[in-house]
Amino acid sequence: MFLALKEMKHEKLHYGLIVAMIVLISYLMFFLMGMMLGLQNENDAAIKEWGTETVFLNKNSNDNLGQSIITRDQLSGKGQKNVALVGQAPVVLKEKGASKESAQFIGLDPDQFISREKIKITSGRQAKGNNEIVVDKSLSKKGYHLGDRVTINSQNEKYKIVGFVNDAKFSVAPVIYGSLPVWRELRGLNSSAVASGLFSDNKLSKNTYPDLQHYTVNEYINKLPGYSAQNNTFTFMIGFLMVISLIVIAVFLYILTMQKISHYAVMRAQGIPARHLIIATVTQSIFLMVCGVIGGILLTLITSVAIPMSVPVIMNWPLISLMAVGLIVLGMIGSLLPVRMIIKIDPVQALN
Amino acid sequence: MSKLKLVDVNKYYGEGISRVHVLKDVSFSAKAGELNLILGPSGSGKSTFLTIAGGLQTPTSGKVLIDGIDIEKLSSKKRDELRLQKIGFILQSYNLLPYLNVADQFKLVDRIKKNGNVSSEAFDELLEKLAIKKLLKQYPSELSGGQNQRVAIARALYTNPEIILADEPTAALDSNLVKTVGQLFQDLAKKEGKAVIAVTHDLRLREYADNVYELADGKLTLSKNSPDQ
Repeated sequence: MFLALKEMKHEKLHYGLIVAMIVLISYLMFFLMGMMLGLQNENDAAIKEWGTETVFLNKNSNDNLGQSIITRDQLSGKGQKNVALVGQAPVVLKEKGASKESAQFIGLDPDQFISREKIKITSGRQAKGNNEIVVDKSLSKKGYHLGDRVTINSQNEKYKIVGFVNDAKFSVAPVIYGSLPVWRELRGLNSSAVASGLFSDNKLSKNTYPDLQHYTVNEYINKLPGYSAQNNTFTFMIGFLMVISLIVIAVFLYILTMQKISHYAVMRAQGIPARHLIIATVTQSIFLMVCGVIGGILLTLITSVAIPMSVPVIMNWPLISLMAVGLIVLGMIGSLLPVRMIIKIDPVQALN
Repeated sequence: MSKLKLVDVNKYYGEGISRVHVLKDVSFSAKAGELNLILGPSGSGKSTFLTIAGGLQTPTSGKVLIDGIDIEKLSSKKRDELRLQKIGFILQSYNLLPYLNVADQFKLVDRIKKNGNVSSEAFDELLEKLAIKKLLKQYPSELSGGQNQRVAIARALYTNPEIILADEPTAALDSNLVKTVGQLFQDLAKKEGKAVIAVTHDLRLREYADNVYELADGKLTLSKNSPDQ
């Protein structure tokens, strides 16, 4: 510890540069993680809010809720306990004095569990009847208010906004909660179509609805258009940054150790055990990583405060802490390369 | 009893046609209270002699005994311990750690060898004698070659070793400081009962030595100019 700290204090520029690199790498990692979670949230927040376990879609829908239509026949003879019918349609919301907004219309049955238990109104009240809707709170920042009468797509019908909900996002668009009959109108379907999908808060088996395609909710979310590709891209970038941080710390410490070989040889000649030099190197590595990671967290914190609300970033601090610990462990692994060099130092070099 | 004894030591480097016989049947003994000087030209095997005597490397044949213990039979860890506790190395290239100031060079020793180092009074005296007391806050890069050399000497003596092995200890010093170091080595031998062995080109140290050896072409011989002869 003594050697490690004294050296870093004396060689501020050398070690400052290493810390700066780790700050930038860790900041980039934390920020990418925030973006990944933010974009995930834009895609699946509404579904996660419903707390469902099982999803059924039409077998020919190609895993797409928007393309799925479940008919009365497909449900015939089957009970609908613990399930909620969900009708989904991409729409455009319009109102005088507000911008046109692309949104996802979600038609629900008011007597089923999603409407009754899962839609948490933050202001206003639940929708009653076909001409009332509840919308995502993000629309309130775009000129939509409680009591506003809005139109959807090219319909002449007006719908009254009676409530706002938090985190109602689906397929990177704000959600409009309305009724299933309105969904049918928007899709131009007759009364034989009952919903786009069937969501249950229980783990149901495939056999519950043999005519429908069965998914666990995670399977379904992963099949949302672009969702897996987007997550895999971010995961790859974060993983690659982790490898870069491992290489940076290993290479820097290796070079610094190479420069110190003659000093280490003298210390070994004087009988200073290799253990002390190894502890100094590993301590340095941990110290550099801790400083770098703290710097990265501080930058992330500043960014999370300063970034515009429109950028979909969610800082998950427990996850960031876990990544920070992972980086510190990687730093320790990175120090193994110079440690190997220290073990092999021949004290005879001290006299050469 | 000899503090340090080399018995029929041979050392070869390399293999086949590049094999070199560096030390040839070298026998040597250093007693407590003696200053031994080993003179020899470059390439005569002085550094090899010192590394073998200090347990940094093992001879191809022969024995090295420190306080009667055959150091070849010790594990690497025990040899480290032996060097730390009993041997003070003063090295030609005086490699002080560049990121520690002079005071910290000694603090480092304190952290590793917690007991048995010189007392604070003796340390002060040592610093005074080597004229480095005012340099405690300086870093090696801020010192002259001679000052670095004296700090390196003080650092080697700080552990209060029983055996002092010095490689060209006066190489960077002027005549006045050579006298100081020569006197210091003599005092360490005579007053503190240490076995001092210095390998050097520097003939100015002869007058302080009890025994003067010559190492030439790997053979060690007691010099005719030894004060005892």
